Amino acid sequence: MGMTMDTSTARPIVTDPGMTDSGGSAATDDGVDDLLTLQVWLSPAFPVGGFSYSHGLEWAIEAGAVTTAAGLAAWLGDVLVHGAGRNDAILLAAAHRATVADDVERLAEVVELAAASQPSRERRLEATAQGAAFVRAIADTWQTPRFAELLDRLAARMAPATPTWTHAVAVGTAAGAHGLALDRVLPAFLQGFAASVISAGVRAVPLGQSDGLRVLRSLGPTLRAVAAAGAGGDLDLLGGAAVLADIASMRHETQYTRLFRS
Amino acid sequence: MTPVDAPPFASVPLVLERARGRAEIGFAQTDGVTRLDRLYQEGQAKIRLPKSHGGVPPTAVFINTGGGIAGGDRLAWSADFGPGTRAVVTSQAAERVYRSSKTDGSLAGEIDNRITVAAGAEAEWLPQETILFEGAALTRRLEVDVAADARLLAVESTVFGRSAMGEEVTACRLVDRWRLRRAGRLVWADTFRVEGAARDILAGTATGAGARAFATIVMVAPDAEARLDGVREVLETETCGAGASAFDGLLLVRMADPSARVLRDALIRTVVHIRQAEMPRVWSC
Repeated sequence: MGMTMDTSTARPIVTDPGMTDSGGSAATDDGVDDLLTLQVWLSPAFPVGGFSYSHGLEWAIEAGAVTTAAGLAAWLGDVLVHGAGRNDAILLAAAHRATVADDVERLAEVVELAAASQPSRERRLEATAQGAAFVRAIADTWQTPRFAELLDRLAARMAPATPTWTHAVAVGTAAGAHGLALDRVLPAFLQGFAASVISAGVRAVPLGQSDGLRVLRSLGPTLRAVAAAGAGGDLDLLGGAAVLADIASMRHETQYTRLFRS
Repeated sequence: MTPVDAPPFASVPLVLERARGRAEIGFAQTDGVTRLDRLYQEGQAKIRLPKSHGGVPPTAVFINTGGGIAGGDRLAWSADFGPGTRAVVTSQAAERVYRSSKTDGSLAGEIDNRITVAAGAEAEWLPQETILFEGAALTRRLEVDVAADARLLAVESTVFGRSAMGEEVTACRLVDRWRLRRAGRLVWADTFRVEGAARDILAGTATGAGARAFATIVMVAPDAEARLDGVREVLETETCGAGASAFDGLLLVRMADPSARVLRDALIRTVVHIRQAEMPRVWSC
């Protein structure tokens, strides 16, 4: 991936990155450190470029399948339950569990499977460009010897191929390496994904900001359910039925006027 | 039920006769001619190899003599395309999957498909559609290994109920899993999974918008990505929901339509365009 693993270039402000992590030597165990870390990693401001992808929604809007806030909630609800939401939850959990168990063999399987599970060129771009950017950003700013060493072993295991990270697997792996609890990471990741698609919908339909927030709020129980269903990280449970969302992402590739990269 | 509660052999009368079948075909090439190298068949899985004429590559026809799949049935098909071979595998008829006594998946019909395509070979996997009846349960796996410079065109289509008969599938369990490796590397992994309230699940705007018939076409070949524009032109003329994309040496097409007939016609036109030849004869019987 061309990223540097050299921890000697750590920023001077943080003399011992390990001290700021909830996973290692944190002084307290009240979950606040985890919360603070996740808020940053899954914030729209984290430099993975989430704002530039619509997951095919832009074409669904163009085709008239999504025209209202209620329509957006239904479309995105399907994607969460029967599409990328469900599968990303399983893959994130599997990566997290493999990392915690220090099982590089399993992690390599999850990385490869996630990259191969994208149904179109643009969905592949959406998943892997954000994944690569996430790993780069973590290696650059949130590095720990454990994460760096894990990346090295994974690269050695997958050589001569280089690991192609999807966003979900990258987050699951980094969170596992930092000791962040899976039952916090999963719903937060899914909410970040939902918020990103909603933000695209707000711009492309267009909808009001409050409409977008209401959609996000209404999906709360769905996010919880999808996170709970995927938490086991059982790869045999992958799969879905979001066929029209897949087709939308394919059709988006030739959409004449477009704001988004997917 | 615990073992201590069960009298000896209590389970014997409950064991139903389940269909089993396994068939394997292998092609080899000598002096530029593809010929049958190996044929094995067992149980209700049979393979017929009609004489091919006029430059049509050898075409193997898979036949499930059981006339459908019920819960607990197990079928395994495999096709091995040796170096430099060129051959087609299809099926005699649409595969029907009947109501299972348990739709929770504990008694699904199972189909295991394996394809290996060796260096320089050209393989086509063109089975006819699978029709799921109300309450059907099916777990299908397709494992594909393609050499770096080999070619594969594969199709899978699934229909929920016979819409021409006015049938609707409100509940079923389908897990249809593809894993495709090229030169040993996993390049395509996909699972079509519809478990439970099928009609409701497939009603959504991101799922099927009421579609009953679905198809996926995958092409792996050195020039697969270059075929994208031509395929898109064909899809442009179709009324069914359809999209195509290409990446990583793959060409992918997905289709969905409320009508099995409309989908089948669109699928045939698209596949005929891709392979630059008519469908195998069994498709028009």
